[in-house]
Amino acid sequence: MTSESLRWLKPLTSLKLTIFCLACAMVLVFIGTLDQVHIGVYEAENRYFKSLFLFFTLPGTHVRVPWFPGGYIVGTLLLVNLLVAHIARFKLRWKKAGILLLHSGLILLLVGQLFADIFIDMESQMRLDQGQTKNYSESLYHDELAITDTTGADADQVISVPESQLYRGNRIELPVDSLEVVIQEYYPNAALVSPSQLPAPSYPHLPIGPMAVAVQMEKTYKENERNQPAATVSILQHGNLIGSWSLAAGFPRPLSFQAAGKTCQIALRPKRFYKPFAIQLLQFRHDRYAGTDIAKNFSSRIKLTDPARHEDRESLIFMNNPLRYRGYTFFQAGFDNNDTTTVLQVAQNPSWLVPYISCALIVLGMLLQFGMHLVSFVKRRVIA
Amino acid sequence: MALAMVSCNNDKIEVYKIPKDGINVAIQSESEGLAPPPGNPAQWTKPDGWSEQPLSEMRLGSFKVDGSNSASADVSVIAFPGEAGGLISNINRWRGQLQLAPLDEDQLAQRTQRTEVDNVPTYLVDFQTAENAPKPSRILGAVFQSADRTWFVKMTGPPELLERQHQNFLDFVKSFRFSSPAVIEPPAPAAPIKPKSTNDE
Repeated sequence: MTSESLRWLKPLTSLKLTIFCLACAMVLVFIGTLDQVHIGVYEAENRYFKSLFLFFTLPGTHVRVPWFPGGYIVGTLLLVNLLVAHIARFKLRWKKAGILLLHSGLILLLVGQLFADIFIDMESQMRLDQGQTKNYSESLYHDELAITDTTGADADQVISVPESQLYRGNRIELPVDSLEVVIQEYYPNAALVSPSQLPAPSYPHLPIGPMAVAVQMEKTYKENERNQPAATVSILQHGNLIGSWSLAAGFPRPLSFQAAGKTCQIALRPKRFYKPFAIQLLQFRHDRYAGTDIAKNFSSRIKLTDPARHEDRESLIFMNNPLRYRGYTFFQAGFDNNDTTTVLQVAQNPSWLVPYISCALIVLGMLLQFGMHLVSFVKRRVIA
Repeated sequence: MALAMVSCNNDKIEVYKIPKDGINVAIQSESEGLAPPPGNPAQWTKPDGWSEQPLSEMRLGSFKVDGSNSASADVSVIAFPGEAGGLISNINRWRGQLQLAPLDEDQLAQRTQRTEVDNVPTYLVDFQTAENAPKPSRILGAVFQSADRTWFVKMTGPPELLERQHQNFLDFVKSFRFSSPAVIEPPAPAAPIKPKSTNDE
C-alpha cells in the first residue's frame, strides 16, 4: 500500500484507538452490569451492547441525547481498527503467523456476532399443552398487532405490525387493501381487572370485555414477568372507519371484522414466528428422585410433522439433548400447569459454529506466538 | 450499513401466509390470560336430551334443550379468571336480564343456595321475570369459584320448560369436575409470571 493512501488511514490504525475502544468496552460492561440489576439481562443487553449509543432523556421532554458510544459503535471501531492496522502493516512473515491467526480469530468473532444480530431470528419459546400442536413459537419480549385475513381457502394472510410502531396517535398504512391502523391508545404494560376494581369510573382504562378492563402498569423488567400491552385501535379503509377495538395481549382473543367483503381478525399478542413444520406434545415428564422433590429429569416426547419433507416422527427432548431440525434447535426450557405444559426454547443460529472456530484460532495463534518466543528464548540460553 | 440494519431489523410490517388449519393451531394460552386454555380445565356430563351447540369465543360449553311447542332453553358454560367482578355483580347482571331489581349482600345471601361441587364453593340461583311480564323467562344459574377462575353455568328459557329441566340442571351442575385444586386465591393484577424454568430446581 502506498504511503499516500496510508496517510488518511493512519488515525484508524492507531493503537490509541484500540486502547480507547477497549476502555469504552470496559465502561459499557461495568455500567451495563450494574444496571442489569434494575432492568434485567435482556434490556441491559439491548441498551448497552446492542445499540449505537447510550441515551439520556432530557427532563420533561421526549428528546433523547446520545452521551456514550454503545456496543455496536465500539465493536465496529475495534473491528475497523484491527482490519486497517493489518492492511497497513501487513507483512507476511513466519514470525507474525501467531498474531495473524489470533487476530483473524478476533475478527471472525466480531463479524460473526454482528452477522448473528442482523440476520437471525430472535430467540423464542414454544409453549405446548399436552396433546396440543403448534407450528409457531412466540417471542419472550416482543408483541405484535396481527391482522389476519381468513377469507382464503387454503391459507390465511397475516399482517404483523411490530410493537415499535404501536404508540398513541400513530397512523400506520398497511401494505394491503388500502387499510390503515390508527393507534388511539397504547399501554406498554397493562393489568386486566374487573370494572368494579377501578378506583373510580373515570380512572383511565381500556374496556376489554364485559367483565374486564385494562389499566396501565409500570413496565416490568423482572426475569420472571412479561409485559402485557393493551391498546385501542381503529381500522380504516380508503379513509373510512371500519371499527375500533380495545385489545389486550393478556386476553389474546382475536376479534372479527369485515373489510371489503373479506373476513379478518385482529389481535394483540406475543410476536409469532411460524415454522414450516408442526410439533405436538405427546407427553411431558418431570421425574424426581424417589422420596424427594428434587428434579431428576425433565423431558418432552413430541411428534414432529413436516408434510413437505415427509417427516412424521416422534422425538424425545430432554436436558442437554435438544431437537435440531431445519436449522432450529428446540431446548427443554420450562414447564407449567402442574407438569402438563412444556416450554421449549427455540433458537435459530446458522453461525453457531463461528465462536468455536474463532476461539480455536485465537488459542492456536497464542500457542504459536508464545511457543515461538519460548523456542527462541531456549535457543538463546543454550547458545549462551 | 450493517449497523443501520441491526438498529431497525425489528421495525418493519411483515405480511406472510400461513396454512389454514392443516394442523390444529390453537390460540396461544398464557395461563393467566382470560382465555381458557385449550385443554378444558373442567369436565362435565351432559344430561340426556340436551343437544350440544357450536362453541363461541366465550362459551366453553353450549347446549340447547328442546321443549314442547317449539319452546327451547339455552345452557351456557363460561369461565373467567379470578373473581370475574364478584359474585353479587354477576348475579345482579343476570337479574337485569330478567328486568329484576338488583339485590344487596343480605338479599343475595337469602336468595342463593350455597353448596359444594367437587370441593369447589358453588352458588345456585333461580330467578324468574315478574308475574305480569310480557315475555316470561327464567334463569337457573350456578357459579363455581374454583382456584383460578370463576365458572358460570346458566340456563335461560320459558319458566315451564325450566321447571321440567330443574333436576337435569342440578345433575349437570353436580357433574362438574375441576382439574385445579379448589383453593381460592385473590386475583393478582400484576404482570403474569412466566412458567417455571428447568434451571430453577
